[in-house]
Amino acid sequence: MILPRRGEPVIVQGITGRYGSLHTKLMLQYGTKIAAGVTPGKGGESVEGVPVFNTVKEAVSMSHAKSSVLFVPAQFFYDAAEEAIVAGVKLLVAITEHIPIRDTLKMLDLAKKRSATIIGPNTPGVIIPSQGVKLGIMPATSFKPGRVALFSRSGTLMYEVANELSRNGFGQSLALGVGGDPINCTTLNQCVDLAQGLQETKEVVIVGEIGGDAEERLAKHILDNGFSKRVVGYIAGRHAPREKRMGHAGAIIYGNYGTAESKIKALKDAGAEVAMTPMEIPRLLMRRSYRQERT
Amino acid sequence: MKLFEYQAKELLKEYGIPIPRSELARNLREAIAAFRRLPHPVVLKSQVLAGGRGKAGGILAASNEEQVTEAFAKIVNLEIGGERPSSVLVEASVPHEAEMYLSITLDRGARAFVVISSKAGGVEVESLKGRVVRKISNRGITKAEARSVAKKLHLSGEKRGRFLRILANLERLSREKECELAEINPLAVTKSGGLKALDAKVILDDNALFRHPEFSKLHPEDEFEGEASRQGFAFVRLEGNIAVVGNGAGLVLSTLDLVADAGGNPACFLDLGGGAQRERVEAAVNLVNKLPNADRILVNIFGGITRTTDVAEGIKSVIEQGGMKPIYARISGAEEREAREILTKTPVHLYPSPLEAVEAAVRSQ
Repeated sequence: MILPRRGEPVIVQGITGRYGSLHTKLMLQYGTKIAAGVTPGKGGESVEGVPVFNTVKEAVSMSHAKSSVLFVPAQFFYDAAEEAIVAGVKLLVAITEHIPIRDTLKMLDLAKKRSATIIGPNTPGVIIPSQGVKLGIMPATSFKPGRVALFSRSGTLMYEVANELSRNGFGQSLALGVGGDPINCTTLNQCVDLAQGLQETKEVVIVGEIGGDAEERLAKHILDNGFSKRVVGYIAGRHAPREKRMGHAGAIIYGNYGTAESKIKALKDAGAEVAMTPMEIPRLLMRRSYRQERT
Repeated sequence: MKLFEYQAKELLKEYGIPIPRSELARNLREAIAAFRRLPHPVVLKSQVLAGGRGKAGGILAASNEEQVTEAFAKIVNLEIGGERPSSVLVEASVPHEAEMYLSITLDRGARAFVVISSKAGGVEVESLKGRVVRKISNRGITKAEARSVAKKLHLSGEKRGRFLRILANLERLSREKECELAEINPLAVTKSGGLKALDAKVILDDNALFRHPEFSKLHPEDEFEGEASRQGFAFVRLEGNIAVVGNGAGLVLSTLDLVADAGGNPACFLDLGGGAQRERVEAAVNLVNKLPNADRILVNIFGGITRTTDVAEGIKSVIEQGGMKPIYARISGAEEREAREILTKTPVHLYPSPLEAVEAAVRSQ
């Protein structure tokens, strides 16, 4: 996965919609270089001074962007993602919620064939505070530059946790939402591999939730391959009922599959510390750093 | 969306998968009429979405009209997982020698659909013995993939042929109707080597329903869940007394945990979604205010894209209409001071942290 650095061009697909245009403005304010936008049929217009094109191909050839943030409605999402991948986009940030599972699987297949990365779907995106890079919808004020890598299955919880971290002096090297859907095109395992390679990153915070087995797989990945940085986890939904979809398409327990207990146990067994509330995360980190300094 | 057994079986039938003869009965008269038309004995099966139906006593056999009457009365009065059946399926019972398991399901970890099968079905998928799991490609199961499943199950002769036909049809159903799960359990093996789907479970991909108008209005919805879904809120009804409202699924989920940890009992889960404006906040607060099992409301907002002032205005305007249940709120994020200002002269109990708001909502009498 190659994330853009300061000043590198990014395009926005679905730029003329309500969310697309609002967040184009906010991403620009953060310092992200939104170089072009795409909305079929709206070519020639502009949004916040960003030129709009009918096709991704045109937007890419004009801007040389390798990254795209997509706000395209779920019904048209697969076609938009395919268009971006075929046009040579290497990083797709899929903000859109409610994409059918089979569309996600199809675009994941295509992305693998073309060596492209998709973050999401149903993600708040990714933010790199030190680079002024924000590809997504997260509120900028919660995030500060620092050394914690934050990965989350939930949007608002990611903001809440980032805010708690920032308030307590733990800035973030990057924060990335893997998405609330049953399929994460970029998995928590891939996120942790990414964090392993980031020199300035000392700690990793994982915000998980009920449903699926992403956290269990992450724990196994850490045990199998080792991980040199500190990991603090938090899992939402300890008291959620079974067989009920809790807001996110992916947040559902079937039988004993996807429970918070299973995830908490797996993370602890892999050597991670697990907070019981979002507010406890910086407290655990503080204790850790204190201990580290002493040893 | 999970389908009732009878709806799932209608789909199987449409896809050429053998099922027992059956009729749906909404009242005793229909059940007796069904019994008269069907071969005997029959089983009466409670149509609920909850699991563990057999163990709970929701499936009863009957060989005469008296027994049908008795079984019908028992089933309609039996609550399973808090759910009462809207109807009863009367089905010809199928004598059989063995029970298999077959499903096409999303494997989230593998990020693919898989076929799962076993010769020892009739139990939960987790406790299946000797199960075969095989990934299938997005374009559908290939003949070679299907044959390898049959081979691993050591099927031969006519039974193998029947199994392969059912597998191909179930996979096509799963793909064309966009199911998260299409399960036959048990798949009965009769004396003559025939295969029949005795029970079926289908869960549709809610996000694909826009491509499937045939499924619109399949369910008699809970009044509140129906209203919430029309308004576009993620809403789950729960059994406690504290209505929990927030922006973002994860945030509301973590608020439920805080409430339960403090000894409280949530009445519902309501996610406003991102960027909710004043009218949506009003609609949400109005909705949970009407929930009969809720006697107080807890609002947890972390403003980002959602403007805290919009939330405050929304709450204020509901209060001005009167009849508002006690409301406890934590509203943080951009413009939180202005938001608090808006609510100062209202009876809303405001707290700076989620823990304090939760504590107050749980403790107050």
